[in-house]
Amino acid sequence: MSLAALVAEPAPSPAPRGRLGFAALALAYGALVLLCLATLAAAGDLSLGRNPWDNLLRSLADFARPSFLDLWFGAERLEYRSDDGRLLRVEDRRAVEASYLAGLARATWVTFQIATLGSLLAALLALPLGLLTARNLGAPRPLAWAAKGVLDVARAVHTLVFGLVLVGIVGLGPTAGILAIALHSMGTYGKLYAESIESLDMAAVEAVRATGATPLQVFFNAVWPSVLPQFVGNHLYVWEFNIRDSTILGLIGAGGLGLLISEAVSLFQWGRLATVLLVVIALVIAFDALSRRIRRALQ
Amino acid sequence: MTPPAVIRLQGVTVEAGGRVLLQVPELLIRAGERVALVGANGAGKSTLLRLLTGLAVPARGEVEVLGRRLDAAAPRPLSRAGWRALRAEVGQVMQGLHLVPRLSALENVLVGALARRDELPAWRSWTRLYPAPLVGEAEAALARLGLAARAGTRADRLSGGERQKVGLARLMLQRPRLLLADEPTSALDPASTELAAAVLREAASRATLVSVVHHAALLPLLADRVIGLAGGGIVFDRPRAGLDDERLAALYRAPASAAGELLDDLPGAAAARLAAAHP
Repeated sequence: MSLAALVAEPAPSPAPRGRLGFAALALAYGALVLLCLATLAAAGDLSLGRNPWDNLLRSLADFARPSFLDLWFGAERLEYRSDDGRLLRVEDRRAVEASYLAGLARATWVTFQIATLGSLLAALLALPLGLLTARNLGAPRPLAWAAKGVLDVARAVHTLVFGLVLVGIVGLGPTAGILAIALHSMGTYGKLYAESIESLDMAAVEAVRATGATPLQVFFNAVWPSVLPQFVGNHLYVWEFNIRDSTILGLIGAGGLGLLISEAVSLFQWGRLATVLLVVIALVIAFDALSRRIRRALQ
Repeated sequence: MTPPAVIRLQGVTVEAGGRVLLQVPELLIRAGERVALVGANGAGKSTLLRLLTGLAVPARGEVEVLGRRLDAAAPRPLSRAGWRALRAEVGQVMQGLHLVPRLSALENVLVGALARRDELPAWRSWTRLYPAPLVGEAEAALARLGLAARAGTRADRLSGGERQKVGLARLMLQRPRLLLADEPTSALDPASTELAAAVLREAASRATLVSVVHHAALLPLLADRVIGLAGGGIVFDRPRAGLDDERLAALYRAPASAAGELLDDLPGAAAARLAAAHP
């Protein structure tokens, strides 16, 4: 057998189709999952720690008494004494908790500011990029590719990573958070914008143009009314997402609730962590409900 | 004195992929004429209409619409503003021309007035804050078509027939000098077909009307001149009065593939009424 014949021998098998293709995919996926589990087990990293149940119960017990209850049930005269019984300090737990809650309210507001301003900045930054990448607008190819590249990179890098870099550049505080949110969400907005524009009814645009309308008239009468509700819907959706995202930005020093979370975790103050998490949950749920209602009204 | 020519074709050939779609040695349509284009599918009716809106470009020959040359060989190509002015004067009722889904029926009707620039300041046309007289006119147009109650409904919530009527109302506000209609009543029930044809006829009373007609019963309403097309060429061109059914039927028999859609699919009752009303 000649070398050429040997090389040519295996006939190109047809691409897997239908159920066979699906079975092959499922098999490959199963193999991947097994590989992950096996390598973890081999490295001895597949463990739940020494006594997970005790830890779980202790954590639950800690969380079950959120610190804000001190506002009503805290000791009004908590005395700190030295070993020989001398009175060192007297603390009013209620007053301490009240001032903590005031700080929590300020942090919540900062988180909201970061999410709101970051989302708005992202929406504005993404607008030209979205217009460039919408296929039916026919932007020059190299520009469209460049814009798509920027959007893909922005989406690929997590908000926290942007935040870490930005804290180094603009310093600690909400500005870094706002910029981090803006850079990551820009990618999401650009993609959503392009999709809204691509779903535009071009026959309606043609019909308006056929009445002799000027380009501006076509834009305001055919393009804008179709695209605006979608833009507003997208904005609310990403904003809602960013409220959730910005609650952890404080972990890297970018301001807001995350700072209180990291503080409570470092000091093992699970009661305070429970209080902060309750605020996060309430904030996210409230904004979700509001945004969903507005988006439904816009349909 | 003969009225001026609105449409003038001279030695026109339209090709697509090396195939001849339409060949018209000469065609002249004068102001005020009402012309019906009849013929089987693929006979060249739609190509002729597309030629008149500039959507189809002739490989050879001259195309003149409302005094403007549209072919590539024109001594002076039409400017952007020239095309806009032409579009404003040419009203279209076409299958593919949709309403703006998010605008109300009334706002869609008012789109027809966008080119009436002396009555509609630019900023009002951008903000859709239309002046009261135009709004009144649009409401009257909708009422004429029996859609007064649907004025505030969004176009994407209207039925197919209602949309076609809104398209007609839009045309009434456009006040075109030349009206091009392709199956203007396809989505309408018999009663609405009568009404729509009457509206179209009214709109055409101040204009020239060229329509593709599929229902023989509508010919008396929409045409006093009938042009028969087959295989991309004109096979007859004569006054409607002198047209016999045999000639029409022959047009649809000629190509084996074409079904006789002209004479059969308007529901009987409406056809009879129309025929009685317009002998």
